[in-house]
Amino acid sequence: MPEITLVAEAGRPIGTSATRRLRAEGKIPGVVYGHGTDPVPVAIVARDFRIAMSGEAGLNTLLSLELEGKNLLTLARDIQRHPVKNVVSHVDFLIVRRDEVIAAEVTINLVGEAIEVQHGDGIVDQQLFTLAVKAKPADIPPSVDIDITELIIGASLHVSDIAIPAGVEVETDPGATVVAGQPPRVQVTAEEEAASAALAAEAAGETGVGAGAAAGSAEPTEE
Amino acid sequence: MLMPRKVKHRKQQRGRMSGKAKGGSSVTFGDFGIQALEPAWLTARQIEAARIAMTRHVKRGGKVWIRVFPDRPVTQKPAETRMGSGKGNPEHWVAVVKPGRILFELAGVDPVLAKEAMDRAIQKLPFKARFVIRPGTHGTSEVQV
Repeated sequence: MPEITLVAEAGRPIGTSATRRLRAEGKIPGVVYGHGTDPVPVAIVARDFRIAMSGEAGLNTLLSLELEGKNLLTLARDIQRHPVKNVVSHVDFLIVRRDEVIAAEVTINLVGEAIEVQHGDGIVDQQLFTLAVKAKPADIPPSVDIDITELIIGASLHVSDIAIPAGVEVETDPGATVVAGQPPRVQVTAEEEAASAALAAEAAGETGVGAGAAAGSAEPTEE
Repeated sequence: MLMPRKVKHRKQQRGRMSGKAKGGSSVTFGDFGIQALEPAWLTARQIEAARIAMTRHVKRGGKVWIRVFPDRPVTQKPAETRMGSGKGNPEHWVAVVKPGRILFELAGVDPVLAKEAMDRAIQKLPFKARFVIRPGTHGTSEVQV
Protein backbone atom coordinates (compact mmCIF):
# COMPACT_ATOMS: atom_id res chain seq x y z
CA MET A 1 0.00 0.00 0.00
CA PRO A 2 1.37 3.46 -0.82
CA GLU A 3 2.57 5.62 2.06
CA ILE A 4 2.07 9.38 1.92
CA THR A 5 3.82 11.98 4.03
CA LEU A 6 1.62 14.59 5.67
CA VAL A 7 2.83 17.49 7.78
CA ALA A 8 0.92 18.08 11.02
CA GLU A 9 1.24 21.10 13.28
CA ALA A 10 1.05 20.40 16.98
CA GLY A 11 -0.22 22.83 19.59
CA ARG A 12 -3.29 24.04 17.78
CA PRO A 13 -5.69 26.14 19.87
CA ILE A 14 -8.62 24.30 21.43
CA GLY A 15 -12.20 25.53 21.44
CA THR A 16 -15.03 26.33 19.06
CA SER A 17 -13.97 29.82 17.96
CA ALA A 18 -10.30 28.98 17.55
CA THR A 19 -11.15 25.82 15.60
CA ARG A 20 -13.51 27.79 13.37
CA ARG A 21 -10.71 30.26 12.61
CA LEU A 22 -8.40 27.32 11.87
CA ARG A 23 -10.88 25.93 9.33
CA ALA A 24 -11.21 29.35 7.71
CA GLU A 25 -7.43 29.29 7.16
CA GLY A 26 -7.83 26.11 5.10
CA LYS A 27 -6.75 23.68 7.80
CA ILE A 28 -8.45 20.69 9.36
CA PRO A 29 -8.28 20.08 13.12
CA GLY A 30 -7.40 16.57 14.16
CA VAL A 31 -6.07 14.43 16.95
CA VAL A 32 -3.30 11.83 16.98
CA TYR A 33 -3.49 8.89 19.36
CA GLY A 34 -2.81 5.18 19.70
CA HIS A 35 -0.53 2.68 21.41
CA GLY A 36 -1.01 4.26 24.82
CA THR A 37 0.24 7.70 23.83
CA ASP A 38 -1.51 10.82 25.06
CA PRO A 39 -3.80 12.32 22.43
CA VAL A 40 -2.15 15.25 20.64
CA PRO A 41 -4.36 17.90 19.00
CA VAL A 42 -2.97 18.72 15.54
CA ALA A 43 -3.84 20.75 12.48
CA ILE A 44 -3.25 19.66 8.89
CA VAL A 45 -3.57 21.52 5.60
CA ALA A 46 -6.94 20.59 4.10
CA ARG A 47 -5.69 20.52 0.52
CA ASP A 48 -2.82 18.16 1.37
CA PHE A 49 -5.22 15.87 3.20
CA ARG A 50 -7.57 15.72 0.24
CA ILE A 51 -4.69 14.87 -2.10
CA ALA A 52 -3.49 12.17 0.31
CA MET A 53 -6.94 10.59 0.52
CA SER A 54 -7.57 10.76 -3.22
CA GLY A 55 -5.07 8.01 -4.01
CA GLU A 56 -5.78 4.44 -4.93
CA ALA A 57 -6.12 3.28 -1.30
CA GLY A 58 -8.67 5.99 -0.47
CA LEU A 59 -9.44 6.26 3.21
CA ASN A 60 -7.07 3.38 4.04
CA THR A 61 -3.99 5.26 2.82
CA LEU A 62 -1.04 4.87 5.19
CA LEU A 63 0.03 8.30 6.33
CA SER A 64 3.50 9.13 7.57
CA LEU A 65 2.63 12.02 9.84
CA GLU A 66 5.45 14.50 10.42
CA LEU A 67 4.84 15.80 13.91
CA GLU A 68 7.43 17.79 15.86
CA GLY A 69 10.36 16.23 14.03
CA LYS A 70 9.03 12.69 14.41
CA ASN A 71 7.49 10.48 11.75
CA LEU A 72 4.41 8.59 12.95
CA LEU A 73 2.81 5.87 10.87
CA THR A 74 -0.93 6.55 11.06
CA LEU A 75 -4.26 5.82 9.46
CA ALA A 76 -7.04 8.40 9.14
CA ARG A 77 -9.95 7.15 11.20
CA ASP A 78 -13.33 8.64 12.06
CA ILE A 79 -13.46 11.42 9.50
CA GLN A 80 -16.14 13.89 10.58
CA ARG A 81 -17.89 15.82 7.82
CA HIS A 82 -20.14 18.87 7.80
CA PRO A 83 -23.72 17.62 7.21
CA VAL A 84 -24.51 20.14 4.45
CA LYS A 85 -21.18 21.18 2.93
CA ASN A 86 -19.80 17.64 3.25
CA VAL A 87 -16.32 19.04 3.87
CA VAL A 88 -14.09 17.33 6.42
CA SER A 89 -14.36 19.06 9.78
CA HIS A 90 -12.18 16.79 11.95
CA VAL A 91 -9.93 13.75 11.55
CA ASP A 92 -8.65 11.17 14.02
CA PHE A 93 -5.20 9.79 13.23
CA LEU A 94 -4.60 6.35 14.71
CA ILE A 95 -0.96 5.41 15.27
CA VAL A 96 -0.24 1.93 13.91
CA ARG A 97 2.79 -0.35 13.75
CA ARG A 98 3.87 -2.11 10.59
CA ASP A 99 3.82 -5.54 12.23
CA GLU A 100 0.44 -5.35 13.99
CA VAL A 101 -2.85 -6.57 12.58
CA ILE A 102 -5.45 -3.82 12.37
CA ALA A 103 -9.10 -3.64 11.37
CA ALA A 104 -10.11 -1.70 8.28
CA GLU A 105 -13.03 -1.22 5.90
CA VAL A 106 -12.21 -1.95 2.26
CA THR A 107 -14.32 -0.78 -0.68
CA ILE A 108 -15.99 -3.48 -2.77
CA ASN A 109 -15.79 -2.89 -6.54
CA LEU A 110 -18.18 -4.53 -8.97
CA VAL A 111 -16.23 -5.79 -11.98
CA GLY A 112 -17.71 -6.65 -15.36
CA GLU A 113 -21.24 -6.31 -16.62
CA ALA A 114 -24.15 -8.49 -15.59
CA ILE A 115 -25.31 -9.23 -19.15
CA GLU A 116 -28.11 -11.59 -18.11
CA VAL A 117 -29.55 -9.04 -15.68
CA GLN A 118 -29.32 -6.26 -18.27
CA HIS A 119 -31.06 -8.35 -20.92
CA GLY A 120 -33.87 -9.10 -18.50
CA ASP A 121 -34.18 -5.37 -17.61
CA GLY A 122 -33.28 -6.27 -14.04
CA ILE A 123 -31.32 -4.30 -11.47
CA VAL A 124 -27.85 -5.03 -10.13
CA ASP A 125 -28.53 -4.31 -6.48
CA GLN A 126 -25.33 -3.78 -4.49
CA GLN A 127 -26.15 -4.40 -0.84
CA LEU A 128 -22.68 -4.30 0.69
CA PHE A 129 -20.31 -1.48 -0.18
CA THR A 130 -17.42 -2.15 2.20
CA LEU A 131 -15.80 -5.25 3.62
CA ALA A 132 -14.49 -5.40 7.19
CA VAL A 133 -11.02 -6.93 7.13
CA LYS A 134 -8.08 -7.47 9.44
CA ALA A 135 -4.54 -7.25 8.12
CA LYS A 136 -1.16 -5.66 8.62
CA PRO A 137 -1.19 -2.01 7.48
CA ALA A 138 0.90 -2.76 4.39
CA ASP A 139 -1.33 -5.69 3.41
CA ILE A 140 -4.65 -3.83 3.46
CA PRO A 141 -5.84 -3.86 -0.16
CA PRO A 142 -7.03 -0.55 -1.71
CA SER A 143 -10.23 -2.33 -2.73
CA VAL A 144 -11.56 -5.81 -3.41
CA ASP A 145 -13.23 -6.86 -6.64
CA ILE A 146 -16.21 -9.10 -7.24
CA ASP A 147 -17.01 -10.32 -10.74
CA ILE A 148 -20.69 -9.88 -11.59
CA THR A 149 -20.51 -11.19 -15.17
CA GLU A 150 -22.24 -14.45 -14.23
CA LEU A 151 -24.95 -12.78 -12.13
CA ILE A 152 -28.52 -13.63 -13.14
CA ILE A 153 -31.90 -12.31 -11.99
CA GLY A 154 -32.91 -13.94 -8.72
CA ALA A 155 -29.35 -14.93 -7.82
CA SER A 156 -26.89 -13.21 -5.54
CA LEU A 157 -23.17 -13.11 -4.84
CA HIS A 158 -21.86 -13.34 -1.31
CA VAL A 159 -18.78 -12.30 0.65
CA SER A 160 -17.40 -15.81 0.15
CA ASP A 161 -17.33 -15.14 -3.63
CA ILE A 162 -14.84 -12.28 -3.27
CA ALA A 163 -11.22 -13.06 -4.08
CA ILE A 164 -9.31 -12.07 -0.95
CA PRO A 165 -5.55 -11.31 -1.19
CA ALA A 166 -3.09 -13.23 0.95
CA GLY A 167 -2.54 -11.93 4.47
CA VAL A 168 -6.02 -10.50 4.76
CA GLU A 169 -8.65 -11.93 7.11
CA VAL A 170 -12.30 -11.12 6.42
CA GLU A 171 -14.39 -10.11 9.43
CA THR A 172 -17.72 -9.82 7.60
CA ASP A 173 -20.01 -12.87 7.60
CA PRO A 174 -19.08 -15.00 4.52
CA GLY A 175 -22.78 -15.58 3.82
CA ALA A 176 -23.62 -11.87 3.66
CA THR A 177 -25.02 -10.78 0.29
CA VAL A 178 -22.82 -8.37 -1.65
CA VAL A 179 -24.81 -7.97 -4.83
CA ALA A 180 -28.12 -9.40 -6.04
CA GLY A 181 -29.82 -9.53 -9.42
CA GLN A 182 -33.27 -8.05 -8.84
CA PRO A 183 -36.21 -8.51 -11.22
CA PRO A 184 -37.32 -5.41 -13.13
CA ARG A 185 -39.57 -2.88 -11.44
CA VAL A 186 -42.31 -2.46 -14.03
CA GLN A 187 -44.39 0.69 -13.96
CA VAL A 188 -47.54 0.83 -16.02
CA THR A 189 -49.00 4.30 -16.45
CA ALA A 190 -52.67 4.98 -17.04
CA GLU A 191 -52.08 5.80 -20.70
CA GLU A 192 -50.16 2.60 -21.35
CA GLU A 193 -52.80 0.61 -19.54
CA ALA A 194 -55.57 2.24 -21.57
CA ALA A 195 -53.69 1.67 -24.82
CA SER A 196 -53.05 -1.98 -24.05
CA ALA A 197 -56.67 -2.50 -23.01
CA ALA A 198 -57.88 -0.86 -26.23
CA LEU A 199 -55.57 -3.05 -28.29
CA ALA A 200 -56.82 -6.15 -26.51
CA ALA A 201 -60.41 -5.11 -27.06
CA GLU A 202 -59.79 -4.40 -30.74
CA ALA A 203 -58.31 -7.81 -31.14
CA ALA A 204 -61.41 -9.34 -29.55
CA GLY A 205 -63.73 -7.19 -31.70
CA GLU A 206 -65.15 -5.30 -28.71
CA THR A 207 -63.47 -1.89 -29.07
CA GLY A 208 -66.17 0.23 -27.37
CA VAL A 209 -66.46 -1.92 -24.23
CA GLY A 210 -62.66 -2.18 -23.85
CA ALA A 211 -62.12 1.59 -24.04
CA GLY A 212 -64.82 2.23 -21.44
CA ALA A 213 -63.31 -0.25 -19.03
CA ALA A 214 -59.84 1.29 -19.50
CA ALA A 215 -61.14 4.83 -18.88
CA GLY A 216 -62.52 3.69 -15.52
CA SER A 217 -59.00 2.91 -14.18
CA ALA A 218 -57.61 6.44 -14.23
CA GLU A 219 -55.25 5.94 -11.31
CA PRO A 220 -51.81 4.76 -12.43
CA THR A 221 -50.73 1.45 -11.07
CA GLU A 222 -47.27 0.52 -10.04
CA GLU A 223 -45.52 -2.61 -9.05
CA MET B 1 -49.22 7.69 1.91
CA LEU B 2 -46.82 7.12 4.76
CA MET B 3 -48.17 7.41 8.30
CA PRO B 4 -47.58 5.68 11.62
CA ARG B 5 -49.69 2.60 12.36
CA LYS B 6 -50.13 3.48 16.01
CA VAL B 7 -49.03 6.45 18.14
CA LYS B 8 -48.78 6.92 21.87
CA HIS B 9 -50.17 10.46 21.78
CA ARG B 10 -52.53 11.75 19.05
CA LYS B 11 -51.42 15.39 19.25
CA GLN B 12 -47.96 16.89 19.63
CA GLN B 13 -46.51 20.32 20.27
CA ARG B 14 -44.82 21.97 17.32
CA GLY B 15 -41.20 22.01 18.48
CA ARG B 16 -38.22 23.75 16.88
CA MET B 17 -36.24 23.09 13.71
CA SER B 18 -32.96 24.79 14.57
CA GLY B 19 -29.59 23.36 13.63
CA LYS B 20 -28.37 20.91 11.04
CA ALA B 21 -29.22 17.24 10.55
CA LYS B 22 -27.65 15.16 13.30
CA GLY B 23 -27.68 11.94 11.32
CA GLY B 24 -28.93 10.60 8.01
CA SER B 25 -26.80 13.11 6.11
CA SER B 26 -24.88 10.68 3.90
CA VAL B 27 -25.96 8.46 1.01
CA THR B 28 -25.99 4.99 2.57
CA PHE B 29 -28.10 2.57 0.54
CA GLY B 30 -28.06 3.74 -3.06
CA ASP B 31 -25.71 5.64 -5.38
CA PHE B 32 -27.57 8.95 -5.59
CA GLY B 33 -29.62 11.02 -3.17
CA ILE B 34 -31.63 14.17 -2.56
CA GLN B 35 -30.26 16.32 0.24
CA ALA B 36 -32.31 18.98 2.00
CA LEU B 37 -30.69 22.41 2.27
CA GLU B 38 -33.30 24.14 4.42
CA PRO B 39 -35.32 23.19 7.50
CA ALA B 40 -39.00 22.38 6.90
CA TRP B 41 -41.91 20.13 7.64
CA LEU B 42 -42.29 17.60 4.83
CA THR B 43 -45.81 16.22 4.56
CA ALA B 44 -46.67 12.66 3.62
CA ARG B 45 -48.32 14.00 0.45
CA GLN B 46 -45.14 15.79 -0.61
CA ILE B 47 -43.07 12.66 0.02
CA GLU B 48 -45.46 10.63 -2.10
CA ALA B 49 -45.55 13.25 -4.87
CA ALA B 50 -41.75 13.34 -5.01
CA ARG B 51 -41.52 9.55 -5.03
CA ILE B 52 -44.04 9.26 -7.88
CA ALA B 53 -42.28 11.97 -9.92
CA MET B 54 -38.99 10.13 -9.54
CA THR B 55 -40.21 6.59 -10.25
CA ARG B 56 -42.27 7.71 -13.28
CA HIS B 57 -39.24 9.35 -14.86
CA VAL B 58 -37.05 6.30 -14.27
CA LYS B 59 -39.85 4.16 -15.84
CA ARG B 60 -38.22 0.79 -15.33
CA GLY B 61 -35.25 -0.36 -13.33
CA GLY B 62 -33.88 1.50 -10.37
CA LYS B 63 -34.52 1.11 -6.69
CA VAL B 64 -35.79 3.91 -4.46
CA TRP B 65 -35.29 4.39 -0.73
CA ILE B 66 -37.29 6.92 1.30
CA ARG B 67 -35.07 8.05 4.18
CA VAL B 68 -37.62 10.18 6.05
CA PHE B 69 -40.85 9.13 7.73
CA PRO B 70 -43.75 11.48 8.56
CA ASP B 71 -44.31 10.60 12.20
CA ARG B 72 -45.42 14.00 13.56
CA PRO B 73 -49.17 14.76 13.56
CA VAL B 74 -50.27 18.26 12.54
CA THR B 75 -53.59 19.51 13.88
CA GLN B 76 -55.94 22.05 12.38
CA LYS B 77 -59.07 23.74 13.67
CA PRO B 78 -62.09 23.61 11.36
CA ALA B 79 -62.82 26.72 9.25
CA GLU B 80 -64.82 29.55 10.80
CA THR B 81 -64.38 28.23 14.31
CA ARG B 82 -63.99 30.54 17.31
CA MET B 83 -60.70 30.32 19.15
CA GLY B 84 -60.52 28.22 22.27
CA SER B 85 -62.18 24.90 23.04
CA GLY B 86 -58.92 23.02 22.91
CA LYS B 87 -56.50 21.89 20.23
CA GLY B 88 -57.73 21.06 16.72
CA ASN B 89 -58.00 17.68 15.07
CA PRO B 90 -55.03 15.79 13.61
CA GLU B 91 -55.16 16.51 9.87
CA HIS B 92 -51.97 15.17 8.36
CA TRP B 93 -48.52 13.82 9.11
CA VAL B 94 -45.16 15.50 8.59
CA ALA B 95 -41.48 14.64 8.85
CA VAL B 96 -39.22 17.26 10.41
CA VAL B 97 -36.38 17.88 7.97
CA LYS B 98 -33.20 19.74 8.85
CA PRO B 99 -30.47 20.92 6.45
CA GLY B 100 -28.22 18.09 5.33
CA ARG B 101 -30.80 15.34 5.66
CA ILE B 102 -30.90 12.80 2.82
CA LEU B 103 -34.55 12.40 1.81
CA PHE B 104 -34.47 9.88 -1.02
CA GLU B 105 -31.90 7.53 -2.46
CA LEU B 106 -31.77 5.87 -5.84
CA ALA B 107 -29.70 3.03 -7.29
CA GLY B 108 -29.58 0.93 -10.43
CA VAL B 109 -29.80 3.76 -12.99
CA ASP B 110 -27.20 5.79 -14.84
CA PRO B 111 -26.17 9.15 -13.34
CA VAL B 112 -27.80 11.29 -16.05
CA LEU B 113 -31.19 9.61 -15.63
CA ALA B 114 -30.85 9.73 -11.84
CA LYS B 115 -30.15 13.48 -11.93
CA GLU B 116 -33.15 14.11 -14.19
CA ALA B 117 -35.47 11.99 -12.03
CA MET B 118 -34.29 13.54 -8.80
CA ASP B 119 -34.55 17.07 -10.19
CA ARG B 120 -38.21 16.31 -10.91
CA ALA B 121 -38.66 15.04 -7.35
CA ILE B 122 -36.97 18.17 -5.94
CA GLN B 123 -39.65 20.26 -7.69
CA LYS B 124 -42.23 18.62 -5.41
CA LEU B 125 -40.45 19.61 -2.21
CA PRO B 126 -41.29 22.76 -0.23
CA PHE B 127 -37.64 23.77 0.29
CA LYS B 128 -34.28 23.94 -1.47
CA ALA B 129 -32.67 20.56 -2.02
CA ARG B 130 -29.87 19.20 -4.16
CA PHE B 131 -28.82 16.07 -6.00
CA VAL B 132 -25.87 14.28 -4.35
CA ILE B 133 -23.70 11.32 -5.34
CA ARG B 134 -22.20 8.81 -2.92
CA PRO B 135 -18.58 9.97 -2.26
CA GLY B 136 -15.96 7.84 -3.98
CA THR B 137 -18.30 6.67 -6.75
CA HIS B 138 -19.02 7.95 -10.28
CA GLY B 139 -15.81 9.97 -10.34
CA THR B 140 -16.45 11.84 -7.09
CA SER B 141 -13.74 12.35 -4.50
CA GLU B 142 -13.89 10.44 -1.21
CA VAL B 143 -12.85 13.55 0.71
CA GLN B 144 -14.02 17.10 0.06
CA VAL B 145 -12.29 20.05 1.68
